[in-house]
Amino acid sequence: MGPGLRLKRLRYRGQLPHGPLADCWAAALPRPGTDWRAVEFLVCDGEMSSLEAADGELLSLGWLPVRKGAAVLDGAEHRVLRPSGGVGQSAVVHQLRDVDLVGGEAPATVLEAFLAAARGRVLVFHNARLDLAYLDRLCQGCFGVPLLLPVVDTLRLEQRLLARRDRAPKAGDLTLGGCRARYGLPAYAAHNALADALATAELLLAHAASRGAGLKLKDLL
Amino acid sequence: MTPLAPPVELASVAAFVAQSLPFDLLSAQEMDVAVGALRVSYHPQGERFEAACEPPGLRIVRSGAVDLRASDNKLLDRLGEGESFHIGNLNAGEDSVVATVIEDALLYLLPDATYRELRAGNRDFDRYFSRQRSRRLRRAARYMPDANPLLAPLRDSMSTDLLCLPPHTPVQGVAIAMAKRRVSSAFITEGERLLGIVTDRDLRTRCLAAGLPASTAVREIMTPKPEGIAADDTLFSATLLMTQRGYHHLPILDGERLVGVITTSDLILARRNDPVYLVQHLSRQESVEGMVELLAGLPDQLQQWVQAGMRAEQVSRLLTAVSDAVTIRLIQLAEQELGPAPGAWAWLGFGSQARGEQLLGADQDNGIVIDDDVPAAERGWYEAVARRVCDGLAACGYKYCPGGIMATTEEWRQPLARWQDTVARWTRTPTPAAVMRVSIFFDLRAVYGDDSLCARLQQVMLERASSNTIFLAALAANALASSPPLGIFRRFVVDRDGEHRDSLDLKKRGVLPITEIVRLHALAHRVPAVNTSERLEALAAQRHLTIGDSRNLADALHCIQQQRISHQCGEMAAGEPVDNFLNPRRLPRLAREQLRDAFTIIDEAQTAVRQTYRAGMG
Repeated sequence: MGPGLRLKRLRYRGQLPHGPLADCWAAALPRPGTDWRAVEFLVCDGEMSSLEAADGELLSLGWLPVRKGAAVLDGAEHRVLRPSGGVGQSAVVHQLRDVDLVGGEAPATVLEAFLAAARGRVLVFHNARLDLAYLDRLCQGCFGVPLLLPVVDTLRLEQRLLARRDRAPKAGDLTLGGCRARYGLPAYAAHNALADALATAELLLAHAASRGAGLKLKDLL
Repeated sequence: MTPLAPPVELASVAAFVAQSLPFDLLSAQEMDVAVGALRVSYHPQGERFEAACEPPGLRIVRSGAVDLRASDNKLLDRLGEGESFHIGNLNAGEDSVVATVIEDALLYLLPDATYRELRAGNRDFDRYFSRQRSRRLRRAARYMPDANPLLAPLRDSMSTDLLCLPPHTPVQGVAIAMAKRRVSSAFITEGERLLGIVTDRDLRTRCLAAGLPASTAVREIMTPKPEGIAADDTLFSATLLMTQRGYHHLPILDGERLVGVITTSDLILARRNDPVYLVQHLSRQESVEGMVELLAGLPDQLQQWVQAGMRAEQVSRLLTAVSDAVTIRLIQLAEQELGPAPGAWAWLGFGSQARGEQLLGADQDNGIVIDDDVPAAERGWYEAVARRVCDGLAACGYKYCPGGIMATTEEWRQPLARWQDTVARWTRTPTPAAVMRVSIFFDLRAVYGDDSLCARLQQVMLERASSNTIFLAALAANALASSPPLGIFRRFVVDRDGEHRDSLDLKKRGVLPITEIVRLHALAHRVPAVNTSERLEALAAQRHLTIGDSRNLADALHCIQQQRISHQCGEMAAGEPVDNFLNPRRLPRLAREQLRDAFTIIDEAQTAVRQTYRAGMG
């Protein structure tokens, strides 16, 4: 893994309490020169009540592992978080209503399960910035430190790919659906955190396949 | 594998898998097991899967396309969305099959352990992958959209307000009752039992014209034991029967009990775009030209019937009725010209016409049997009739038989005794030429003339054939000559040679093997029926075939015929000549699966034939 992540972790090492995040950090970071198929990924997607982490809440989190170049459904999970406030505007986007969230779990419990799944794996998001902002805030609340795990962002990978082809992305080109369409991946009707995580995983696989043999982890970071 | 159900958020994956064959057969719990075990992978064009490809399992195409090729690079199948392959199983035999991605593909892998577990736990699911695919096929063959009003049961349109009179009623009393009720027919009954029928015309011709007194008992002039039809039968069957026999009133019976009547005027309601009236109009034509003109509308009508949901079996019965009507009318016209026949005779239809299984584009296959009492010097009449009829048939679009099986040749126009000798010779020495002739000749039906001549000929045939195992073995070899195009793992193999490179000859590879197998069984067991479905029913009723095998073959035949018909309709719509060559890759998925199933059934039936009739002969 890049020296950046190690240096950042070093800064927080002293503050990190024993627990799930510490266990997660304790796992060996995969080497950047590893063939991408030999790396285990955890593809994630979150649904939030606002596009600004400062005034929103994480409502649900879906994830599934990618192992040996294939998305593995028996590691797929979908967790709903109990919000402190109402659902707000995002209900319109995600069709999640307060009533659906009643059975939600404490955010710390979901985070713990998520970190257990993330151990030894590289996280993958489509538009990582947004999801990471929420996860970092959740980690800060629970452990006093940010998440600081290796991350692949399929949106940035696609952005770079388009830039290399001298194509200025048009509106919609970089959305999950827009990226998938370029690889002929089927359209997804469902809109929930896990379905989107699976859609992101498929995009990752298609993207990696398009870059040919010998693709290394560092080429995806 | 996880015992837990996959998250409901994966419902879209489950929905996709559930509509891929044979996952539709899994229970909800089994579906959970299947979906929970899936691995999703992406494979760019050109990627190959070989026998030892890891991890082993069943791969379902989620999107994209995959070709399966044999070691000689022959294309075995092209798989699209929802279709699956197990590369390890495909290579289980001696053959080596390679799957190549031809369009970037997203695949769902069902790992081998789960795949085996599901097969072990669900017989139907397992059967899809083994040889028994009859269930799904049967479902498809039995499915019938209710669109055409002609297919409605008679029960819905028959009149139940019947005029019934005892047999001793004087004809005048009958006429008075009919006039009072304003009906054109009366039923002569004893209790609920139907004894006869009397119509306006009978009163006119059999009573008034014959000078019988008004006091004559109606029993004397009624048509006794009139032919009837069941209330569950369709308007279509009734119309066909009435048109063929020239009936205007058809009693509807429940056993011997009279329950209703259907008349020509009842049929008028269903007459709009009614194909059956073609038959009636044909019988009124005074020239071949008139018939040709009438038949020009046949392709359009055929398309309408098919669009209206008429099933293959009915379509082919109807087309056979049309060619029967053409033949009969041509014979009548020849008789008008040449005068009456010098003695009893029958016009024989062979092959698909005899079986009632004709489609468009059928060749002529016909012959004549002459009563033995007709002196040789007078047999010229039959040749003259044959020439007129065969030429007329050709003008009407029924091509001359390329093999010369026509009443115009001396070989196919003989007195009964000579026919019987010929049959004896064929069965005694089953040369390939004889077997070929037999395979056509043994499906025969009197289209016109004296049925009993045909029946006596058939009798000899059945006697000779059923007792002659060497002959049956020769017929069996013929039935095995064309193998269904299943290839090494029962998938389509596309013919590589000849004119139709990318296509499959549905007639040669599908219909003929079935009719030959069924004929063989029928001859071996002295079943006089000629129609394939009727033969199968009789064979099952006499326990020579299991009900399952009998139905499977019938379903397979109907399925293939259905494909032939819709294929021919497509060609007609495109203004192309009609043929039997179908490109399986252009078929929708379900149709392809059904055809595969049908061919699998033929293959199994051929195996049974090999064991029964050719044991020890290789």
